[in-house]
Amino acid sequence: MATNPMHQFKVYKIGPEIKLGNVDLSFTNASLFMLISALTICLFLYFGSKQKSIIPNRLQLIAELFYNFIAKMISDTAGSKAKPYFPFIFTLFMFVLLCNMIGMLPYSFTVTSHIIVTLVMALFIFFAVTVIGFIKHGFKYLSIFVPKGVPVILLPLITIIEIISYLSRPVSLSVRLFANMMAGHTMLKVFGSFVISLGFLGGWLPLSFSVALTGLEILVAFLQAYVFAILTCIYLNDALNLHH
Amino acid sequence: MRLKIPFIIFIYWFETLLFAAEAGMPQLDSKYWFSQSFWLILIFLLLYLSLSKFFIPKIKDNLDDREKKIKDNLDEAKELSELAEKKSLEYENEISNAKKEVIKIISESKKQLDKNISQKKEQFEKELEKEINKAEKEILDLKKGSSKSINLIAEEISAKIIEDVTGDKLNNSSIKASVAEVSKNKIGKYL
Repeated sequence: MATNPMHQFKVYKIGPEIKLGNVDLSFTNASLFMLISALTICLFLYFGSKQKSIIPNRLQLIAELFYNFIAKMISDTAGSKAKPYFPFIFTLFMFVLLCNMIGMLPYSFTVTSHIIVTLVMALFIFFAVTVIGFIKHGFKYLSIFVPKGVPVILLPLITIIEIISYLSRPVSLSVRLFANMMAGHTMLKVFGSFVISLGFLGGWLPLSFSVALTGLEILVAFLQAYVFAILTCIYLNDALNLHH
Repeated sequence: MRLKIPFIIFIYWFETLLFAAEAGMPQLDSKYWFSQSFWLILIFLLLYLSLSKFFIPKIKDNLDDREKKIKDNLDEAKELSELAEKKSLEYENEISNAKKEVIKIISESKKQLDKNISQKKEQFEKELEKEINKAEKEILDLKKGSSKSINLIAEEISAKIIEDVTGDKLNNSSIKASVAEVSKNKIGKYL
């Protein structure tokens, strides 16, 4: 059913079936759009850094704008110690942003609207941050669960809450992005279907909604990429600068 | 009323949406989970490597270059402006020196001129005095000479007049005596 608003999230394989033992690793439309996003980023950055002009052209200006934006975000939230992780955060932000934005194109596929994609990223960040924390501080890193200045009576409770909140980081990080993307695209699809079903007379209202929602979704696409990146920075900050 | 119809339809659609989500959210279909994870990790890794090894250093280079160039230009501008200030100070110094020199030259030449003028004046005055003295002496000589010749002329004229009038010739000594007497009395009046 083409009007099913969830149809747009369907994953199907493109080309031959690739199997590694019992595991299906076929190239799918999701993989295709990941590839498109990655290639778009590369192309954009290639043309954004090709010329070494003192006065930048437009693409160069935008590329440098992104660079400075991420650099400032990292130094603001995680300090100078997080500088080595700049390429990762930059890649993460650009990838999520481009996946979200390319998902806004009609008939495209939104990679980030799949929980498994966001979960893999969030879990990687979670484990990486935890490993970094333990490498930097050893077992002292566990003191992140014991906030300073808490009354002793409340300490066991607070510690349990802190542990739960720490462990729920990958879930909240992944579900936030996934749910936002899925909800937005579903809404767009639903209002789009209204336009068709209400016809020429009644379709104007949902159409205007649809237009407004498109603008909102573009904002959300950027915002969620930003939130994803900045939360990664904040987690990184916890690992790098114990008890800020 | 116009708002109500879409709202009711929206509720209807939302229910079917929820139903659809319950019935089959493609996201929860685990069939392609491994495939998606695999391709995500692969593509993200490649993207990360190409960005961190190639694109990010390039952008950083560009930015650093620009910053360096701007800083260099600013430094150069500062240097140049300092140089210009120095030069202008030098120039002002030179001008004030020149002005002082000009004042000196003017006063010196004025002094020299004054001196020259006074010298010339003195010389001129001396010469003038000399000339005056000379002239006075000449006049005095002339006076002396003229009174004698006047006497002589007067003697001659009076002898002739007497001869013409009387027909007699008076002796010279008496005429001389009378002329001398008259001229002694009157000559002071005319000379």
